[in-house]
Amino acid sequence: MKKLEFSRKKIILCVSAVLSFIIFILLLVTAKRMGSSQEAQQMAERWSDTGRVAQISCFFSPKAGVTEESIEDFEHTLDRVLVEASITIESENPGARLWADAYSADGKIFLSSDKTTLSLDAIGIGGDFFLFHPLKLVSGSYFSGNDLMQDYCVIDEETAWQLFGSNDVAGMTVFIGGRPHIVTGVVERPKGRLEEAAGLDSSVVYVSYQTLTEYGQSNGLNHYEIVMPNPVSDFARQKVQENFSVDEKEVEIIENSSRYSLLSSLKVLAQFGTRSMNGKAIIYPYWENIARGYEDMIAVVTLFMLLFILYPVVLLLIVFIKWWRHKGWTLRDVWLRAKDRFERFIERKRMERRKKKKSGKDPEEGEWLEWL
Amino acid sequence: MNEKKTKRREWVKTAAIVFLTVLLLLTFFSQTIMNYSLPEVAAQYVQSGTITAKIRGTGMIESGDPYNVMVKETRKVSSVAVRVGDEVQKGDVLLYLAEEDSAELEAAKQALEAAREAYDVALLSADISAGVIQEAQSNISTTTYRQQITAAQNEVDAAQKKVDEWQKQYDAIALQISITPSNNADVTEETKTYNAAKAVKEKADFALKEAENKLSAIESQLAYEISVSSGDAVIAGLTAQKKEAEKAVLSSKTAANNADLALSKAQTALENKKASGDTSGTIQNLQNQQNIVKLNLDAAQKELNQKTANLTDLTGKINKVLNLDNLYKAIVDAQEEVTKLEEKSLGGTVTADIAGTVTAVNAAAGKEISALDPVVILQPEGQGYTMKFSVTNEQAKRLAVGDRADLINSWRYDDVEVTLASIKPDKNEPGQKKELTFNVTGNIIAGQSLSVSVGQKSANYDLIVPNSAIREDNNGKFVLTVESKSSPLGNRYIATRVDVEVLASDDTQSAISGGLYGYEFIITTSTKPVEAGKQVRLAD
Repeated sequence: MKKLEFSRKKIILCVSAVLSFIIFILLLVTAKRMGSSQEAQQMAERWSDTGRVAQISCFFSPKAGVTEESIEDFEHTLDRVLVEASITIESENPGARLWADAYSADGKIFLSSDKTTLSLDAIGIGGDFFLFHPLKLVSGSYFSGNDLMQDYCVIDEETAWQLFGSNDVAGMTVFIGGRPHIVTGVVERPKGRLEEAAGLDSSVVYVSYQTLTEYGQSNGLNHYEIVMPNPVSDFARQKVQENFSVDEKEVEIIENSSRYSLLSSLKVLAQFGTRSMNGKAIIYPYWENIARGYEDMIAVVTLFMLLFILYPVVLLLIVFIKWWRHKGWTLRDVWLRAKDRFERFIERKRMERRKKKKSGKDPEEGEWLEWL
Repeated sequence: MNEKKTKRREWVKTAAIVFLTVLLLLTFFSQTIMNYSLPEVAAQYVQSGTITAKIRGTGMIESGDPYNVMVKETRKVSSVAVRVGDEVQKGDVLLYLAEEDSAELEAAKQALEAAREAYDVALLSADISAGVIQEAQSNISTTTYRQQITAAQNEVDAAQKKVDEWQKQYDAIALQISITPSNNADVTEETKTYNAAKAVKEKADFALKEAENKLSAIESQLAYEISVSSGDAVIAGLTAQKKEAEKAVLSSKTAANNADLALSKAQTALENKKASGDTSGTIQNLQNQQNIVKLNLDAAQKELNQKTANLTDLTGKINKVLNLDNLYKAIVDAQEEVTKLEEKSLGGTVTADIAGTVTAVNAAAGKEISALDPVVILQPEGQGYTMKFSVTNEQAKRLAVGDRADLINSWRYDDVEVTLASIKPDKNEPGQKKELTFNVTGNIIAGQSLSVSVGQKSANYDLIVPNSAIREDNNGKFVLTVESKSSPLGNRYIATRVDVEVLASDDTQSAISGGLYGYEFIITTSTKPVEAGKQVRLAD
């Protein structure tokens, strides 16, 4: 056997290709981790592991005029649409739902305890907001817009400390607009460069939409999201777009479930230069700002990923072409050899049949061989 | 060469030792290392107990049956003797009033003055006679005036009727005159005869003139013939002709005279006929009658004018009398009003009519109080308070009239009892909300804001978990239990999904039903998302 000999140049090329591939793998893992770190964007995965659901977010401008009533109308329309599409609940659990949704408005609110009064940024929530936004709970639990009472609030650690001097304050009463509200949970405020820039630089209190509108200063309902069946790709997004009676200029609809896919990242790259342009009077909530930040970062990682995979692939291609050119056989050789083998096989079978025929055994078996 | 081999062997040995050490370390600490990558969860046992869904709300305390202390006149307050929350007895002074007439009394006095002035002004005007004044003071009833006016009116009507009758007669005579012709004889025949006679006469005159001309011509011929001494025959012929012509003239003259006679006869006949149709006498007669009627008409018209003037005078006089009468009455009324106000004047204080608690004071020193608004509102002794707020239909379904409500900050209040008295549709949002009315008794005052929680009776459940333990996906709600599996390197904890149904919830806990025995360890919170079937790390 011929001894393999590598020149120094070949070794360097080989090692660099392997390294490049490893970096590609690392970047791939990083991008995946970055995407999955955004829990607000992963509702579809949490909702169903079949992959046949999608999370759709709508962001409205103040002129859109979306109200709780219009959302209720949309929900009824959605039920009808799903029935028309023959999508029904398959689970045996009596409480199972086909879809879950949430909406929110941002604003300001005064929160007071016996100790102090704080003026805070507030998010008035409706529907299953915390199902979509599972903030890290320090104590207590979340509340839902579907709860019987709507006089609840979820505060962050800093607010809990300022109001009560403790983090374990679930069940305590705070006053909003002079009305007692119950703190159901204390959450950890996400920290980081992106988070602070996105609007989490100061404390945020989560109250019901009803509380924000009645006792606070609401900037209007500006966000709606839903997780719903998506039997074919883009079904959910299209249905939401069709059935929300809002002018296209006043709303932005995003499919969260696929926003960190390779295709989406390539789209973000393709939008380079135009992505920062904004023709709609929409102010994103903090989670969307963060998600967009991650979109940009993942796009950059994807760009590097492509570069690092390109190098080993090109190298492999060159090696293959070189090998192909210097090979000692042709395709015709392969064809002839295969043909030869096949004929020999047939011949052998024929001989076996004759032998068996002579001994008078198993006449049927020979029929197909005869045919051959 | 040997040296190289030894070096290589040592290198292999070192590598093997390092590898084995790392392997050993990883084996020993695998659990610890893995633990750090696992989500840390907090868990607690499923419990049994009660769930009470409470409805909370805040409302303003209102007086159940408030007593409004009103004043009858607008007065200035000099000082307020009570404050909100004060208990007062019947007769206690609530307000002190300034020592001055009420605005109403002042106004009444001014009105009296004005009425007197108006009466004086009316008396001094030029067209008011003593009779009018006397009549105004004698207080003649309007019926009398009505009778007088009716009588005068009847006289006017009668006069008018007379005028109308005379006018009618006058007009009838005028019509008669206008339609009577000056001559009514038929002279057609006579005129025709006259004209025929006239034509005959003219013809006869013409024939006479012709005959005379012929005679004259013959006489001239004869004279000439005689002068020239013409033959006798000629002269005789001419003489004969002359005789004939003289005969013709004579006969023509007779005819003309006859015609003239006939003409004069016809003319006489015509004139006689014309004279027989003359009507001027009749017309003259009619005009005489008309003149008499005109005299009567003028007399009637004069009488009518007189009666109309009488009526106008009478109504004018009555108006004046009544006006004066009214002005006089206004004085009397204003005087009565002043007397009345003086009689019911408050004096210096406003006092409590009943015993109770002051819930509102709508007066301040130096300011005026009016008769329209209550000055002080009292909560009568022994009467309860009410409180209202709205809830959703869903919330209202869980309540029943008679439910006792708990005060949210009960430490602030003493002896306060709140009971749900009624559930009615909210007037503002009738389809969507219900208004709850509570009866409130105890040591409390109206105007206070009270927060209460009210709910159905607690129900017992076997499986109760914290609200944070309930999770949901498209297969419905579920909880994650922690199952422990022992391994040679210690216990491993696995999160296991159990589908549940939420039966009831309150602020912190939920009662569930599902495949649980009641001693499971349920995950409430975690540091990372936990997936069913995956290993987790228990918090210390």
